[in-house]
Amino acid sequence: MPSSTSSSDDRLGGLRAPPPLAFFDPEHVERPVPARPWRALLVAALIVTIGLTAGWEVYWRGKMLAAGDYKNTSALWAQERRKAVGDATVMIGSSRIFFDIDLDLWEEAAGVRPVMLAMEGTSPRLFLKDLADDENFRGLTIVGVTAPVFFTQDGGLRAEVLDYYKKETPSQRFDHFLSAPLEETFAFLDEQTRPKTQMTTAPLPLRDGMQPLFYPRKLSISAADRNTEMWARVVEDERYKEEAKAQWALILQMMAPPPSADGSPPPPFPQEAIDAVVGEVKANVDKIRARGGDVAFLRFPYDGMFAVAEDNGFPRERFWDRLVAETDSVGVTFHDYPELQGYEIAEWSHLTAREAERYTRALVPIFEARMAEKKAEREARGAN
Amino acid sequence: MLFNSLTFVVFFAAVVALHSSPLPWRAKKLSLLIASYIFYGAWSPPFVLLLMISTAVDWKAAQWIHRSTGEGRRRLFLMLSLATNLGILGYFKYGGFLLENFTMLMNSVGVAYQAPEWSIVLPVGISFYTFQTMAYSLDIYLRRAAPSKSLLDFSLFVSFFPQLVAGPIVRPSQLVPQFAEPKQATAQQFYWGLALMTIGLFEKVVLADSFLAPAADGAFGASGALHPLDAWTGVLAFSGQIFFDFSGYSTTAIGAALCLGFALPNNFLYPYAAIGFSDFWRRWHISLSTWLRDYLYIPLGGNKKGRLRTYANLMITMLLGGLWHGASWTFVVWGGLHGLYLAAERLCREVFGAGRSWYNNIVFKLSMALLTYFLVNITWVFFRSQTFAQAKTMLASMFALAAEPQKVLYWNEIAPALIVVAGMVATHWAMRSTTLEYVAEKTPRWLIGALWAFMLFMLVITQGSDSAFIYFQF
Repeated sequence: MPSSTSSSDDRLGGLRAPPPLAFFDPEHVERPVPARPWRALLVAALIVTIGLTAGWEVYWRGKMLAAGDYKNTSALWAQERRKAVGDATVMIGSSRIFFDIDLDLWEEAAGVRPVMLAMEGTSPRLFLKDLADDENFRGLTIVGVTAPVFFTQDGGLRAEVLDYYKKETPSQRFDHFLSAPLEETFAFLDEQTRPKTQMTTAPLPLRDGMQPLFYPRKLSISAADRNTEMWARVVEDERYKEEAKAQWALILQMMAPPPSADGSPPPPFPQEAIDAVVGEVKANVDKIRARGGDVAFLRFPYDGMFAVAEDNGFPRERFWDRLVAETDSVGVTFHDYPELQGYEIAEWSHLTAREAERYTRALVPIFEARMAEKKAEREARGAN
Repeated sequence: MLFNSLTFVVFFAAVVALHSSPLPWRAKKLSLLIASYIFYGAWSPPFVLLLMISTAVDWKAAQWIHRSTGEGRRRLFLMLSLATNLGILGYFKYGGFLLENFTMLMNSVGVAYQAPEWSIVLPVGISFYTFQTMAYSLDIYLRRAAPSKSLLDFSLFVSFFPQLVAGPIVRPSQLVPQFAEPKQATAQQFYWGLALMTIGLFEKVVLADSFLAPAADGAFGASGALHPLDAWTGVLAFSGQIFFDFSGYSTTAIGAALCLGFALPNNFLYPYAAIGFSDFWRRWHISLSTWLRDYLYIPLGGNKKGRLRTYANLMITMLLGGLWHGASWTFVVWGGLHGLYLAAERLCREVFGAGRSWYNNIVFKLSMALLTYFLVNITWVFFRSQTFAQAKTMLASMFALAAEPQKVLYWNEIAPALIVVAGMVATHWAMRSTTLEYVAEKTPRWLIGALWAFMLFMLVITQGSDSAFIYFQF
C-alpha cells in the first residue's frame, strides 16, 4: 500500500524537532494527523462561532437590518426572469421603478402581479431587447425611464445579469435555492455587512489628489420576488440620508460632461445618439407588439441635484416626448399629473416606502385609463 | 460546483454520509464516482462526457500498451492516449489562440485571411484532469507502473471530486491503490480534514477575495500608468491573491479527501520563503512542477545530455509550463522568465560551486529569499496582465518610469492588502522548514480553538464568495 493517511495512531509520533520536508514523492502520500483533541476543539470552535455570529446578528439588527431582506443578486433576477413568459406583465427599468412601485398594491388595483425585472443603474433597453427576442413572451412590458441611464451607451451597472441568466449553472441555481431560507432567517446576510464592504467604506483619509470613492449606500430592502422599497434607515437616520445624498452628488459630478475648452457649457447629448436609441427601442417594441404584447413607459419623480442634472441634460421634448411618440406608446410622466407630484423623495431619487404606496395607488388608475385610451385609439386607427 | 458555496456544503454532507454508511466498498466507490460526475456536471452537465472520453481512452490505451510487446505498437497506443487528451485540451483551450496566431501569421505574409469566430466554452479544470490521465498512460508506457485492474478504480482516479478541477494533480501510483481497499476516515482524520477545509476556505474567501482582490483588481483593471505605490500594491496583492486562491483550493481538496479517508499530496509549501528558483518550484504548485519534471524534462534528457541541452530542456519545460496555464503569449513569457531564472541559478551554482560557508549565513539566505520574491513578482505582472502593453505599463509604473502616473487605489484597499502580504511573507519564512501538522501539534489548544473559531466566523460573515477559483480557468 504505497499511500497512507497515518490512520493507525493518527499521530506525528511526539516529534521534538521539525520533521524533514517531504516535497513530493510520486509513489507515496503521507497525510499525518497532529495529535490534538480535534473533536473537542471543533465543538469549542463551533460554540464560539455561534456566539460570535449571534452577536453579529444582534449588532446589525441594531443598525436596522431585518431578516427577510433578500440580496439583489443576479440569481434572484434570473429567478424572476424565468417568470416572464406568456402574457405576464413585466416591469423593467433602473432603480426608480424598482423603489417606487409597490407590487402588492399594483396587484390589488390592477388585478395582475407584475414581474419585477428592474435593476439599479442599468439601462432597461437591455432587458427590452431580451424580452423582444424571447418568442415565449407576449405580455405587457412597463418600462421605467430614468433618462441618463436609459440613454446610456453601455448597459450600466448590472448589465451582467442577462449573461448570468443565460449561463446560470445548475449549482448556481441550487445555491440560490439554498440561500433563500437563510435570508429569511438572518438579518446580517447583506452586502453591506461583509468585511470587504466594511473595509471599502471605512472612513480612512484620502490620498492627495484623489476623488472620494463612489460607493452607493444600501438604500432598499427586497422581498423574495424583488418587490422592493426604500430601507427605513434612509428615512429615519439623518446622517445616513446625507451620506446617501453625498454619494449621488459625487456620481453626478463624475458623470457630468466636462465644459468645453473655452469654458462654454458642454455640448448637448448628440442627436444621432438619441436617434439610434429611439430606433433601437422602436424595433424591439414592434417585435413585442407583433406577438400580441405591448409596451408602455413610466417616468418617476426626482428632486434636488437629480432635478438639476436631468432637466438640464435631458430635456423632456428631446428625449421623453420623442420616445413615447415614435414608439406609439402610452407614456405616463409625473410632470403631467398633479396626483403624481408632491411626494417625499428622501435622497433626491427614490420615494420612501410609505410614499411609494401612495404613489402606486395614484398611478394605477391613470395608467389603466391611458392604456384603455391607447387601445381605443389603435382600434379606431385599425378600423379606418 | 464551488467549494465556497452552499451547494457544496449540502453535497459534501451527503457524500460523507453515504461514504460512512454500511454499504459494500464497491457501492461506496460507485457512489463516489457518481458524486464526482455530479460535482463536475454542476457547472455544465455535457462536459461530463469529456471526463468519460478521457477515462475510456486512457483505460483501453494503457491496457493495449501493457499487452503489446513491439515498441512500435506501444508507441502507437501511447500516441492514441496523448492525441485524445491533447486534442481535447487543444480544441477547447488553445483553439482560439492557434486560430488567432495563424490569422496574424497569414496577414503578416500578405494573405488576407479572416478567421471565423471562435466561441468555445472552456470546460473547467480541463488542464488538470487531462494531465492526470496522461500520467497514467505515460507511466504504463515508461514501465513505471502496471495498469489498474479495476475500471471503477481508474474512473474514480480520473474524476475524484476533491482535486478534479484544480489539483493537486495526483499520480496514479498515489491514488489508484487507495481505492483498492475499503477506506474510512478515523475520527481524528475527519476532524483534521475539516480543519484543513476551514483553512483552505479561509485562504480563498477571506484573504484572497476580500483582502487582496480589491487592490489587485483595482491596479490591473486601471487603464494607463500608475503611481508606483499603486503598481507595487497591485502586484504584491496579486502575489498573495493567487497564492491564497490556489493554495486555498488545494488545502480544501486535501481536507475533503481526508474526511473520506484518502490522502492527497501537498501542492504548496510556503513558496514565498523560497531561496532561489529551484527551491521555489519545489514549493509552488508542486504537483505540476514534478509532473513537468517527470514527464517532460526527464524524457527530454534532463541534465544527462550535456550542458547546453540541460539549459534548453529547462527552457522548453518552463515555456510549456507557462502555456499550460493559459492560451496567451503572456503566460509563455511568464514561464520563459521562470526558465531564465532557473538557468541563471544553475549557472551561478556552476560558477560559485557547492558548499560555500556563506550559503548558510542567515543574512545571505534572507537576501536571496527577498530577491526570489521580488523576481517572482516581476513574473506575476505578465501572468496577470491581459496584454504585453499592459505588462509593460505596469512594469514601468513599478519603477517610476511611466509618464502621467495616476493614483487609483484608496488606503481602504492598500492597507489591508499590504498587511496581509506582509503577514503572508513572514508566515512563509517562519514555516519554511516545518509543516503545518508539526506546528499544530505544538500550538496551545486554546489558540488552535480560537483560530479555528475566528476562521469559521470570518467565513460566516463573509457570506461565501462571488468568485470562482482563479485556477479553474487553467
